[in-house]
Amino acid sequence: MRLICVSGIKGSGKTTLIKALIRKAAELDKPSAVIVNESGEEAYDDAFINDLKLPVEYLRGG
Amino acid sequence: MGCSLATSLVDRIKKIKRKHHPELLFVEPSEMVVTQELQNVAAMGHRDIRYQIGPLITLVDAARFDFMWAERQQLMLGQIKGADLVALSRVDRLEDSSPDDIRQILRPHCNGIHLLSVHDDASLEKIVKNVPELNTV
Repeated sequence: MRLICVSGIKGSGKTTLIKALIRKAAELDKPSAVIVNESGEEAYDDAFINDLKLPVEYLRGG
Repeated sequence: MGCSLATSLVDRIKKIKRKHHPELLFVEPSEMVVTQELQNVAAMGHRDIRYQIGPLITLVDAARFDFMWAERQQLMLGQIKGADLVALSRVDRLEDSSPDDIRQILRPHCNGIHLLSVHDDASLEKIVKNVPELNTV
């Protein structure tokens, strides 16, 4: 497993970049998972999670 | 990031690794977390389970750079310092300045700065190259 962290101020595109990398990984049949702070700038919507069978853990305050 | 929060993040890393065995685990911290804190958390988890660390990516919002640099420079520097990869995001929305203007300001604080736009697949590919599992060549 490889741990990849994407930092940045709110609105900088963290979720957008992570989603793009997850899609890329899915194309290569590489399973991904996400840990996201609960105040994430953009939701990981159900369709995205379900389509990619993506495990998502939420972190309060972090 | 406080001690309990760091412990909580480590617990979630361990939980996901044991339960789901992903090849890639992405962490999206809150905007207040700096890279040194992430390095510390990643090292803490390493005591119990094995995983590769990095890249630690920091995004800098090009479209709001002037305002953010004026208001939150210390936080931005904390996120840039120690990052494996710094990318200027939303470069397609820059209006009054150019990416080179921002690069010049950031150059003393980091080695290389990628440009990232959701409308430019090539810019994403440059970031993908830093993730060994996603490199097919």
